[in-house]
Amino acid sequence: MKFQIPIGPQHPALKEPISLRMTVEGEIIRDADLRLGYNHRGLEKLAEQKTWIQNIYLTERICGICSHSHTTCYVQGVEKLMEIEPPKRGQYIRYLVSELERIHSHLLWLGVAGHEAGFDSFFMYTWRDREIVMDILEIISGNRVHYGINTIGGVRRDLDEQQVKHILDSLAILRQRSEYYQHLGTNEPSFVARLAGVGYLSREDAIALCAVGPTVRASGVPMDVRKDDPYGIYDEVPFEVCTAETCDVLGRTVVRIKELFQCYNIIEYLLKNLPTGPVAVRAPRRAKPNEVVSRYEAPRGENIHYIKSNGTDKPERLKVRAPTLGNYAATIKMLKNGFIADVPLIFAAIDPCICCAERAVALVDARSGQEKIISMNALKQLSRQVAAGNARKREAEWPL
Amino acid sequence: MKIGVFIPELLRHLFKKPATVDYPFQKLEVPRDFRGSPYLRPELCIVCRACERDCPAEAIEITATNEAEKRFRMVIHNDRCIHCAQCVDSCPTDAMQMDTKFEISDYDRHNLKMEWEYVRAVVKPKSEPKTS
Ligand code: SF4
Ligand code: SF4
Repeated sequence: MKFQIPIGPQHPALKEPISLRMTVEGEIIRDADLRLGYNHRGLEKLAEQKTWIQNIYLTERICGICSHSHTTCYVQGVEKLMEIEPPKRGQYIRYLVSELERIHSHLLWLGVAGHEAGFDSFFMYTWRDREIVMDILEIISGNRVHYGINTIGGVRRDLDEQQVKHILDSLAILRQRSEYYQHLGTNEPSFVARLAGVGYLSREDAIALCAVGPTVRASGVPMDVRKDDPYGIYDEVPFEVCTAETCDVLGRTVVRIKELFQCYNIIEYLLKNLPTGPVAVRAPRRAKPNEVVSRYEAPRGENIHYIKSNGTDKPERLKVRAPTLGNYAATIKMLKNGFIADVPLIFAAIDPCICCAERAVALVDARSGQEKIISMNALKQLSRQVAAGNARKREAEWPL
Repeated sequence: MKIGVFIPELLRHLFKKPATVDYPFQKLEVPRDFRGSPYLRPELCIVCRACERDCPAEAIEITATNEAEKRFRMVIHNDRCIHCAQCVDSCPTDAMQMDTKFEISDYDRHNLKMEWEYVRAVVKPKSEPKTS
């Protein structure tokens, strides 16, 4: 007997309002279908009516978590169009904020993963520790979420000695905490058992379906724009691309924890080698007719902005490809042959926000057309029951 | 592998201070460069309209009330403002400033409007506006 379960368009398991229809046989998902287009904000059209400067603040509002990723991707492109190069110090500060953003995004994700796996104390502690990095961002930029640090031709705020010291001190605490979480992974069998083997995505599938970011890296593909096509200062900064071989949610967790340590190293390098000088150059108001594709490794994966200018002070076209879109095709693959109870975990693993609200999922009986509404709480309850009922995957090892 | 490795950490937290503050009674300090709401120092404004032009939210409105006397009126629609501080960056004379208030909500959006009526100042810009 087959059922169809629609999730969305309005559903907290999905970052953007998309509609997901799953055909299930008992507890097992046999097929999944994704429909997009519910979150059309007209943002790209709006960008054509705003000046280059105004668009920085518009692109910042594409996403709350990756706000800096979108502005950086945008200003990198615009700087190429205007043929200006930001000064070294400005670039260092810009990518310093990028790495801080990666830390806060990954810590947030770790908490969400813990929450979905039923490990709520882990969620509380990672989110408390995330406050440290939020405070650093607030001190540097003046606000916690929309930093507004980028401007065309550099950054808007400089760092002073005191701030550098504060960041380094806070980083030491964060590093210690991350080591503790890593240690916890090695020693907490129930957490590892819940994540291992869920949402399998083979290496070949990950490449064929063009997955991006930690999702593709967890399938053993060392793909990272910072290494493959270095932008800004990433060709001078030493760091490693983190991968995992397990191809499942556990792998995605491991990649993110490893990346946290890389971020700490990068930030320390940037602060120790911070050049002196100005942080921004003056930018012209107009850009010559041209087009540019800007790539950026956001915490969730590769972010692409295509910008076309026509000689005026406004862009002719701005096209944004956010990383989550790149991961949708792979998500379908991960859902297939998985359990309904794993849906929250699999979706959380590509990093949309699942914990923000409690909504309902409708279970539709394909033959009678009957719908059964279950709340997000009930779905999570189900998820926990399944996890508890499973024979512990005792052989599952924490790979770090 | 052990069972319950998290328990020592949990117990330790029983004896720690809460991580949050008791908000309405106790408030956190905002950082030095906090971006609150923009306000105008009319004695410095030369009505170059750089702020009006660069504001991404179209929150600033400058109108001439009396051309002959060079009287102008500036309205900052704080209900539209996205607190980006671009107006502060664009202003060549430091007439635009940010305050540090963060409890600015109101029951009526029109109460958030701020208004100044002033005579255009004759101040020499310190430098050209960065973005013009
Ligand atoms: S802070 Fe930003 S949105 Fe607010 S008035 Fe200034 S430029 Fe406009
Ligand atoms: S940019 Fe400054 S000087 Fe020019 S109109 Fe605005 S407040 Fe006045």
